[in-house]
Amino acid sequence: MSVDWKNFEPVLLPKIPVLHKIDVYEKNGGYDQLKKVLKDWTPEKVTNEVKAANIRGRGGAGFNAGLKWSFMPKPDGGPRYIAANGDESEPGTFKDRQIFEYNPHLFIEGAIIAGFAMSITAVYVYIRGEYKDWIDMMQKAVDDAYAKGYLGKNILGSGFDIDMYVHSGAGAYICGEESSLMESLEGKRGYPRVKPPFPAQKGLWGRPTTINNIETLANVPLVIKNGAEWYTGIGAKNHPGPVLYGISGHVNRPGVYEYPTGMSINDLIYDVCGGVRGGKKVKAVIPGGSSTPPLRGDQLEGVCMDADSLRTAGSMMGTAGMIIMDEDTDMVDVLWRISHFYHHESCGQCTPCRDGTGFLEKTLIKIRDGHGEMRDLDLLLDLCTQMEGRTICALADAAAWPVRYTVTRFREDFEKRVKNTVYALA
Amino acid sequence: MSETFEFTKEELAEIDKIKAKYPDKKSPVMPVLWLAQNKFGHVEPEVQQLVAKTLDIPAAHVYGVVSFYTQYYGTRKGKFVFDVCTTLTCQLCGGYDILHHLEDKLGIKAGETTEDGMFSIQSVECLGACGYAPMMQITNGVYCNHLTKEKVDRIVDDLKAGKMPEFEQIPFPQHQNESSK
Amino acid sequence: MPEIFIDNVRYEFEGKPLVLQFMLDHGLDHPFFCYHPSLSIPANCRQCYVEAGTPVFNRETNSYELDESGERVIRFFPKLMTACSLEATDGMVIKTHRTSALVERAQKDTMEFILVNHPLDCPICDQAGECPLQIQTYKYGPEGSRFEHKKVHKPKRIKLGPRVILDAERCINCTRCVRFTEEISKTHQLTIISRGDKNYPAVAPGTEFDDPYSLNTVDICPVGALTSSDFRFKARVWEMNQTPGIDITNGKGCNIDVWTRDNVVMRITPRYNPAVNDHWMPDFGREDIRRMNENRISKPEVLLDGDRIKSSWNNAELNFTENLAGLESNEILVIGSAFSSVEDNYAVKKLFSTLGFNHQVFVPNIKEGSGDGFLIDDDQYPNTNGCRLLGFEELTSEKLTLLLSKGNFKMIVSLEDDLVGRGVLNEDLLKEPYFVYMGSNHNKTSALADLIVPIANSVEQSCSYVNSSGRIQRTTAAKETLYTNRRLNLEMSVGRLDRYGTKFDNWVTDRNRIDCIPAWDFIERVATNLDKQTGYESASEIMDEIASVLPAFNGLSYDRIDDELGVQIIGDVSKVTSA
Ligand SMILES: Cc1cc2nc3c(=O)[nH]c(=O)nc-3n(C[C@H](O)[C@H](O)[C@H](O)COP(=O)(O)O)c2cc1C
Ligand code: SF4
Ligand code: SF4
Ligand code: FES
Ligand code: FES
Repeated sequence: MSVDWKNFEPVLLPKIPVLHKIDVYEKNGGYDQLKKVLKDWTPEKVTNEVKAANIRGRGGAGFNAGLKWSFMPKPDGGPRYIAANGDESEPGTFKDRQIFEYNPHLFIEGAIIAGFAMSITAVYVYIRGEYKDWIDMMQKAVDDAYAKGYLGKNILGSGFDIDMYVHSGAGAYICGEESSLMESLEGKRGYPRVKPPFPAQKGLWGRPTTINNIETLANVPLVIKNGAEWYTGIGAKNHPGPVLYGISGHVNRPGVYEYPTGMSINDLIYDVCGGVRGGKKVKAVIPGGSSTPPLRGDQLEGVCMDADSLRTAGSMMGTAGMIIMDEDTDMVDVLWRISHFYHHESCGQCTPCRDGTGFLEKTLIKIRDGHGEMRDLDLLLDLCTQMEGRTICALADAAAWPVRYTVTRFREDFEKRVKNTVYALA
Repeated sequence: MSETFEFTKEELAEIDKIKAKYPDKKSPVMPVLWLAQNKFGHVEPEVQQLVAKTLDIPAAHVYGVVSFYTQYYGTRKGKFVFDVCTTLTCQLCGGYDILHHLEDKLGIKAGETTEDGMFSIQSVECLGACGYAPMMQITNGVYCNHLTKEKVDRIVDDLKAGKMPEFEQIPFPQHQNESSK
Repeated sequence: MPEIFIDNVRYEFEGKPLVLQFMLDHGLDHPFFCYHPSLSIPANCRQCYVEAGTPVFNRETNSYELDESGERVIRFFPKLMTACSLEATDGMVIKTHRTSALVERAQKDTMEFILVNHPLDCPICDQAGECPLQIQTYKYGPEGSRFEHKKVHKPKRIKLGPRVILDAERCINCTRCVRFTEEISKTHQLTIISRGDKNYPAVAPGTEFDDPYSLNTVDICPVGALTSSDFRFKARVWEMNQTPGIDITNGKGCNIDVWTRDNVVMRITPRYNPAVNDHWMPDFGREDIRRMNENRISKPEVLLDGDRIKSSWNNAELNFTENLAGLESNEILVIGSAFSSVEDNYAVKKLFSTLGFNHQVFVPNIKEGSGDGFLIDDDQYPNTNGCRLLGFEELTSEKLTLLLSKGNFKMIVSLEDDLVGRGVLNEDLLKEPYFVYMGSNHNKTSALADLIVPIANSVEQSCSYVNSSGRIQRTTAAKETLYTNRRLNLEMSVGRLDRYGTKFDNWVTDRNRIDCIPAWDFIERVATNLDKQTGYESASEIMDEIASVLPAFNGLSYDRIDDELGVQIIGDVSKVTSA
């Protein structure tokens, strides 16, 4: 059932010391794929290869990257952009920073190749402002790539020009949402945009734009080097490739691990991360960042980290940022804290999210503090229904899902905390 | 005595470089606010006016931006700001204990600044270091991971002595020897 | 023609209308807050939900797919759609709350969320009675609230600027006010600050919202968050009458609504006219209520042995006629006014022309460069083009001064225009002749008059003006004079108090009725004394006559002006000169 992960050698973050240095990267075959593409490939060929590889977006939505690229309209001579999404703010997610730290040039090379495929004029790398140190690392890598002629005008004599700019966020989870990210890049408050128009039609500064996650783009040189077939041979059939699992919570060896998709959650917990702290049982697992529905620890058997398996199990792959909770965890406290996060991070633009996230949190505080009543549980579920699918961006859904699935899947924790008030029908 | 806020020639040259990265005049506002905050330690209204004037954009726009993003200090903070993460994983791993320990140690609550203006504490949302929880960030800068009460005490003492903690490189587990597995 | 089906009714459409606007244009009520037809569409309130679907088109058969009962197969969007941002497409099917339980529920849901942090104290809110939130809550809201927690508290009574006050707790974050300053007035003075449910609009610290159009944000704010510092808590909407009028504070002629209570103008708001002012007007136009209410000339006044005394209308007419008697044709100067209406100017001009007095002039009041190219015009007066078309000779201050000092005028008749106050004339020039001033407000010029005739102003009579772009527009009486009666004058708007109030309802008094009549009415009385009466009984009859004698006005009538929201009567204003 599970994939062969034990013999897997990391390719996104290979075991090469100081790979972040451009000389070392080059010595290990770095930028060769870019050279190859610029010399021999057409943009269509690149897009088709990436599409065939089925790199599913690592930012959360899991959309085929090559397919997304193909939505870009034909070049008209005006500017076109890639916004590379390194906002990485979904709780439980801390993987893109490993790329900034250990293998930034793989991402840069991938972004340039993607740029070539879509006739892009500039790549904006949006990194959350808190990652100050990693922003500096990334800036250094970009400067080095410019110095070596991989960025700028007439790259490697190919006639292809592309710029890359690093942009620092300043503390706003919502700016990871692609249209909010564009607003933020444009120097505005991060209010997500109404779609349509979609970014490929009208993105940054009104020009065609593609948004991809950092890890997504880092996969591109690997696909160019080894071919789509190689890539689809790794991990889960419909959700292939190497992936950075960020594992945190009550495990013995938390951290980021690179393995194929489709690994069983139990393997990740017990074999990769050395099991639960203190030998305790798993109570709950959030598979892909705090917005993905939690799974019960007693229902993990056979569940694997890929879109299909997780859908069947009732959750999502998200960012592959897994959070493991042991048997002593109080799900009421956990859910309250998740709700607090979304309440705090709602941009406040649309009504159901602005006021719904607060309503959820306040109801959960009431339950947490022992004043809750049975009817509050139904109210919570009702509020979720009132928020899901009703807003400009998916933050409201991201806020509602954990509530819906924590309350339904861990109902006993909640029932224990609420008063059993019986209301007479008035 | 009122402070005056101005950019030096060098900083203006730096701002020109920033401007060149964006196609319109509103877009550079975030990096320029960063530059201003790094210089002045805050972006209070006078600094916002300066940024607006320098970029020739509406002051209200700058204010809207400053107040949207949590890392901009629209009002002055302490010299060192402890941004203690209390979100999910950090919560599970004792983030609140760290927060409360700091609060007790400094005699202030989250959201407050010590009287001598040295320290502020904030309870913040996930900083993207969940695997290394509990953790905090100091003044929008260095990350301090795997916190214990002792480690927090040490950091506070070091800061008082003028020593900023260093960047902690956390080894990538698969790069270490198989034996650690 | 493309078709759309809304609640099972078929409509045809042209172009790419937005579904919400299309529904509103067709009289279908639909709840919404953030949408405004003249602003960008943020679709943030999430109130205007509909279910929407499109027919499935089969490319092979080149026809719509049909189900077994022969109906088109409709593919509905998986989520509810916001009608404000949804473009109609051919064959689209829309279900509103009238036909969809899901939509009905969703509208209630959004309403519940909006009210979570909104104060529930409409009785003490200034917006009550004209509040979209209040109205829509009654129509589409939930029965009650399940929110049993503390609301988010925000500052109240913030003075955003000299004219606008914000109650941040009432704000529902529709961003209309911010969009207005970004897209319409372009002062960019407002922003939303903070995030999430702490959001509210603000100006940059240390600045104020002194946008010359700031009060428009009060009009478009769908709740009681933004109020006018001048008007707030002065009157409740249901106590006022609302009558259409024209802003005469400058040449643009913004269309307005005049709100009166007990014959006092309480406020002025813009009235939609896409050809002139869209939904907007400048703030200073609203301050015109002072001119309408205060410092009014009531009852004629004459100079008797150097003392100014109130006089009767009979006496005023007599005085006027007596002074006219025996004057040579070049001994009378008639000064028309670009501040007065077409009808008043016409009546004056006609009488004196009939009598053979042909010195008929006017001095425009145009301040070059004072306008903004939007709704603030260089021209300070509403009817400059009207005076030109009527054939008054257009003079500068210098020329009029020359004329007066060289001429041998024994009598000057002037329609309302503060020539002295605005520096056109030196007051000495008016002292010698017999000077008749016909106006509504006391000023430096009226102070010099031998006879002051109190004239009904633009909100006390029906009258028309030709604006600076050559469009004729008209007002309706909003405020009773001593001689008009709301219950009898069918043109006047009748409010709740007129209908149900009695003399004993203490807020209906006669105190505020001014003793004045339209200038044409006074002229007609004088003409009658001179046996030159024309038989006019109303301004609209005058307009009919003007339409038959002056080519520029051909085909005009009040009905037509009303139907067409004003009529463009000058093709190219730069070519208009005094006849
Ligand atoms: C509320 C919200 C927050 C998001 N945050 C991030 C983020 O931090 N990083 C990211 O890559 N994608 C994030 N996304 C997903 C992006 O909108 C977008 O789908 C993604 O960047 C596309 O890249 P991909 O196709 O390569 O995954 C977020 C989405 C939502 C709705
Ligand atoms: S769903 Fe929430 S975060 Fe997204 S646009 Fe609406 S208010 Fe903002
Ligand atoms: S103050 Fe009024 S117009 Fe402005 S955002 Fe709030 S509700 Fe909308
Ligand atoms: S939860 Fe604290 S860093 Fe992510
Ligand atoms: S009117 Fe606000 S969302 Fe449509």
